[in-house]
Amino acid sequence: QIDSISQEGVRNSHICHRCIEKDWRRGEAITGSSASSSTPAVPAMQLDLSMLEPVTRNAKQTQEACLTGISGEGIDAFPLPAVADLDSFEKEVVEYVKPSHGTTTLGFIFQGGVIVAVDSRASQGSYISSQTVKKVIEINPFLLGTMAGGAADCQFWERNLGRQCRLYELNNGKRITVRGASKLLANTMFSYRGMGLSMGTMVAGWDVAGPGLYYVDSDGQRTKGQRFSVGSGSLYAYGVLDAGYSWDMSVEDAVELGQRAIYHATARDAASGGTASVYHVTEAGWTKVRGESVGELHYKYYPDPLVRSSIAVDPLAT
Amino acid sequence: MVVTPDHLTLQPRVIFEYNGSAIIAMAGKECVAIASDLRFGVQLQTLATDHKKVYKIHDQLFLGLSGLASDAETLSQRFKFKHTLYKLREERDIKPSAFAQLVSATLYEKRFGPYFCQPVIAGLEPDGTPYLCGMDSIGAIETAKDFMIAGTASDALLGICESLWRPDMGPEELFEVTAEALLSGQGRDCLAGWGAVVYVITKDQIIARQLKERTV
Repeated sequence: QIDSISQEGVRNSHICHRCIEKDWRRGEAITGSSASSSTPAVPAMQLDLSMLEPVTRNAKQTQEACLTGISGEGIDAFPLPAVADLDSFEKEVVEYVKPSHGTTTLGFIFQGGVIVAVDSRASQGSYISSQTVKKVIEINPFLLGTMAGGAADCQFWERNLGRQCRLYELNNGKRITVRGASKLLANTMFSYRGMGLSMGTMVAGWDVAGPGLYYVDSDGQRTKGQRFSVGSGSLYAYGVLDAGYSWDMSVEDAVELGQRAIYHATARDAASGGTASVYHVTEAGWTKVRGESVGELHYKYYPDPLVRSSIAVDPLAT
Repeated sequence: MVVTPDHLTLQPRVIFEYNGSAIIAMAGKECVAIASDLRFGVQLQTLATDHKKVYKIHDQLFLGLSGLASDAETLSQRFKFKHTLYKLREERDIKPSAFAQLVSATLYEKRFGPYFCQPVIAGLEPDGTPYLCGMDSIGAIETAKDFMIAGTASDALLGICESLWRPDMGPEELFEVTAEALLSGQGRDCLAGWGAVVYVITKDQIIARQLKERTV
């Protein structure tokens, strides 16, 4: 496009690429005479309607970039190991990177938006590798992803999802829907099916269709729903969540329910613990509303020692 | 919601991790301390938070049993029985060193179908010197002058004990060090926790204390 600029046009090196293209769109040829004048005639009201025009710039390339893996060659971009017997090698390797399934995450939709609550423990077998893991991945200000299963798998693929969502925005000029984002992730997972990825995540957010919550896992499952809990502590969380849930809950009650469900799950499940983080998603985006240690919550919810069974032991009884 | 069985169970590498436990014993100046966590669970599920793993044999001798809870209970009852008979015959309490041999022999009897327990013995000999020893599940005795640990949190516990232990600690100091070491160690173990119970044994008294857990 720049070939048509005359010598005088090139002398105006301060003109950026975008300015030049805008002139081109409006049909003004950059000739010697107009380039040498100090400023082109600017209409009184200038509206930037460029987003409505069909995207023709590198469209095909970026569309492919959306759908491809990191290296840009295609979905199965990760090379396979060059071994004689791939199947048994893969079977063996899956055990080495055996991910920790220990976690409790939950999400639910109610009248006031979406609540997402998680614990923060990572375990390797019976060893606690960390009590301060971030299990909610902030994909963009309106989309959250939770992490359950293999930590590396979740972190990598959800960050990749963030990249894909951003590309979508740049190509289409609008934010991606929760439905679309979850579909992108589910398709990626499906393409790696059987290779030992372990991820059970919830994609939660708010878009033009309102609040959205999808469960996506490494088997390729993608399910839309109103209430989910994922992880080794999920059954305990469900007990509290299902009992206390109602669509018409206030925001405070919903946040408290999420926190309580996580606390009870960490109390019963050995592989969950650390802190209970609660996020609230509304039309204006997500905010983190709670982040208390479950140890503190234990003494807050059950301050009376006589009620707590852990005090029933008489130290001197033999 | 579909949850695969994998997510619910911890595949036990060994039967010793079925229930989970953390036991520490430490020696001080003419005193010993023995402590255990309070969690009782089956794999990942916690069933009770008031289950101690330390049993009193007599006023100057305690036995801690880590490993499979069912075997620990059976063994503690057998040793109580054996000590009762011993006391009737000998008209005195058993010495810790002799008790250790008794425990070792009892475990070795089941050499080809062992009890899945690892005992820790802490006590004071009649002359007041501390006695500490630990054993594997078939009775190999290992005596120690400083500390002895057992349970699922053993790696974490070893490290902190090495750092914190020093010789000739008095009863109060010994309590602090044992408590600190146990809470730190079990804080890194999924299967042990929910507080602790610590016994400090001196010539005149047993000081029993229960500790609050730092995190669930």
